[in-house]
Amino acid sequence: MASFLGHSAALIAALAVLPQLVGEFWAYTLALYFLYAIASLGIGLCWGQAGFLPLGQAMFFGLAAYLSGLSLIHFKDSWLLLLLLPGAALAPGLLAYGIGLLVFRGRTLSGPFFAMITLALTLLAFQIANSWNDVTGGFNGLKNIPGLPGLSDFTDLYYISAVALAVCLLAIAWLRRAPAGVLWRAVAQNEQRVRFCGFAVQNVKAAVFGLSGVLAGIGGALYAPQQNLVTPQLCGFLLSADLVIWAAVGGRATLYGPVVGAVLIGILTADLRDEISYWEVILAAIFIVVVLYFRQGLMGFVEPLFERLSRRRAGRTLDSPARPQATGDTGFALDDVRVRMGSVSILEGLDLAIDRPGIYCLIGPNGAGKTSCFNAMTGELPVRSGHIRIFGNTRTGAGADLLSRIGVGRKFQAPSLFPDLTVAENFNIGLWGGRARLRDLLRMDSHGWTSAILREAQARFPFLADEDRRAGDLSHGQRQILELVMVLIAEPRLILLDEPSAGLSQTETQEVIDAIRWVSGRHNACTVIVEHDMTFVRELADRIFVLHQGRLLASGTVAEVQADERVRAVYVGASA
Amino acid sequence: MDPILTTNILNVVYEVSTLAVVVLGLAVVFGLLGVMNLAHGEFVMIGAYCAFFVQTQSLPFLAAVPVALLVCIVLGLAVERILVRPLYARPFDTLLATWGLSMLLREGVEAVYGRGFKSVAVPLTDSIDVLGADYPSYRLLLAAVSIALVAGLVWWFVRSATGRRIRAVVNNRELAGSVGIPVTALARNTFIFGCCLAALAGVMLAPLLPVNPTLGLDFILKSFFVLVVGGLGSLVGLISGAGVIGGVESIVSAFLDRTYGYTTVLVIAILFLWLRPNGLFPRT
Repeated sequence: MASFLGHSAALIAALAVLPQLVGEFWAYTLALYFLYAIASLGIGLCWGQAGFLPLGQAMFFGLAAYLSGLSLIHFKDSWLLLLLLPGAALAPGLLAYGIGLLVFRGRTLSGPFFAMITLALTLLAFQIANSWNDVTGGFNGLKNIPGLPGLSDFTDLYYISAVALAVCLLAIAWLRRAPAGVLWRAVAQNEQRVRFCGFAVQNVKAAVFGLSGVLAGIGGALYAPQQNLVTPQLCGFLLSADLVIWAAVGGRATLYGPVVGAVLIGILTADLRDEISYWEVILAAIFIVVVLYFRQGLMGFVEPLFERLSRRRAGRTLDSPARPQATGDTGFALDDVRVRMGSVSILEGLDLAIDRPGIYCLIGPNGAGKTSCFNAMTGELPVRSGHIRIFGNTRTGAGADLLSRIGVGRKFQAPSLFPDLTVAENFNIGLWGGRARLRDLLRMDSHGWTSAILREAQARFPFLADEDRRAGDLSHGQRQILELVMVLIAEPRLILLDEPSAGLSQTETQEVIDAIRWVSGRHNACTVIVEHDMTFVRELADRIFVLHQGRLLASGTVAEVQADERVRAVYVGASA
Repeated sequence: MDPILTTNILNVVYEVSTLAVVVLGLAVVFGLLGVMNLAHGEFVMIGAYCAFFVQTQSLPFLAAVPVALLVCIVLGLAVERILVRPLYARPFDTLLATWGLSMLLREGVEAVYGRGFKSVAVPLTDSIDVLGADYPSYRLLLAAVSIALVAGLVWWFVRSATGRRIRAVVNNRELAGSVGIPVTALARNTFIFGCCLAALAGVMLAPLLPVNPTLGLDFILKSFFVLVVGGLGSLVGLISGAGVIGGVESIVSAFLDRTYGYTTVLVIAILFLWLRPNGLFPRT
């Protein structure tokens, strides 16, 4: 907190004295690039934090500029401006949020798809602005827009821009450190795991995009009174491209990167465009070099130092809120479930029902449909026919985030976590999922959440107490355990574990067995484990289900299944 | 038949078939290299400028074909080596790098030729009577050449040994490499091939377009949406995707205006993303 205040004071002081140092002309130029910088900050949020690239950000900047320009022209000196101008800044945010909800709803291809949709939208926005003469003034744009009432000289304009920039920077600095920021970076690294922690990823991404729309909106709304002219180019792809270049060269993942990029390159461009005829070509080449070799941009060289100094984690002192009380029955039932991929049939009428707490193992030869069974249950594979009931309700095709919120946890075969986040942050995503409300995600306190299961897990596995380590630096076995603990701290009532002991040492396996048994017993959970290791199965399983060719072949206790002729035939390969 | 209807149908055929040539290049590169080349449209633009260049040198129109191929082979070689190959494992960065490339090419051409529209003279100025409608013969020829080009390439892809190798690499890159298919060379050649197809389309379309540095944007967006709609599975997908996107756009634009045509295409693409995320003919 102290460092945050110190940080803010330094920023505000720097912005306040700048005009005295550089003179009036440069203060005026800076004021313009500060507005662009605010929009570029939005790119930093989307691309540097949440991991998706908007290529059409200028449409929000342009929309706000037109709205603000029209308001100023038609309601000059009216008190209504107090509502209209903030409205002009917020409207693009709403539009962006809406677009985000629409586009992120579809799952596949969302990487290039999102970028292309935004690029197409910005071209569309340009066309509308260019051809809708009655409202936008067409090609010539809106001219003679009055300035903000009461502000006249260049220095005033500078201070307005500087204040807006400072406020935006401080808000973003706060959000980046808040749980929301951790969640965004988690989305960028592993959307699937975020969904399985109970977050609706599409809403998270739409919110980030909406926020970036507001930032572009603030820039645009101030642009109109500052420049007194709004033309269709403000919505166009060239400005959109510039905003991305600035964020990239300055450093998209850093706080100040987009600002440094916008101000530095913006001013260089204004200065050099006429002198060097190939300046734009050089700029494009610089962008490519940054993408290839310097992904952290200019600020990447500076900011890690700050981050290290300021990252002092407080201990875990706050017990997390309890999960909402569970309702419904125990367990699940698959009824004649069929899944096909192309021409290959994966599940062929699988019937499987468990209605009592306990530990169950799912075994079967490779390709029997064990993992596919989990995938069908958690909505990762489309179910062709049949029904899936979980806790007594039909949940066929339900998404992972919903299932996680009602109490289904899943561990994947290959550890699925957030490699670039710390162990602490990995735990936190697990703890926040299904528990944190929006306001919890904005409070710094939530970083200090803990729970009985987490404390127990850290006692069992001492490496988990070293929470500042990067999760990606852990060994394979440690990552397996970290993911398992992430699943368990959500306190699920149905726990699906896909080969939890793969790659573990003998002692680790024993610890994992103890941990699973402890958690299952504590919460009366129903635990289903896919496993090949028969010692593991023998030690844990209350009951075994044998899958073969997408169907249930046999079930019973270990001894019963081992005595079953059909099971032997499948494993030994003899004809039945 | 009503001449206006005939003209409109022919317009759709011409629109769809030329679009198919552009998309084929993009799809082959995406299929084999997993690279969504955002600069694909700029290769169309470069093809169009080759036609303009040839005209300024008072050479016959057809001379633009070898010029465009030469330019694209050189460019494609360099781009594949410098941008695409180092980023195989980073698809998102490839997207960015090729987007940067698209800016580089656009700004490069702009620095040489300026921002203004150039026009390329239409090589065949007469028109032909088709079922009562007077239709420009160059457009007819263009549609015919495009259809022949796509059909020929597909035939070659299915029949030739190289086609078989390409399909093997698409299917399983590691395995193909381990049985002795020169994967790297094949990927390079495919990339160049894709660029050349785009440039050829650019040459052919140059007389009908206002040639300017930003004309590629329109093509990359349309091509991308064709892949979204058609799916990456097959030629049928590609052609039906081109049919939906090119057809809808030219019909809506003809009856309302370009802005509506454009909006309709966008809406279709978003609907497909929700309802059929793998397109009409998904890859199995």
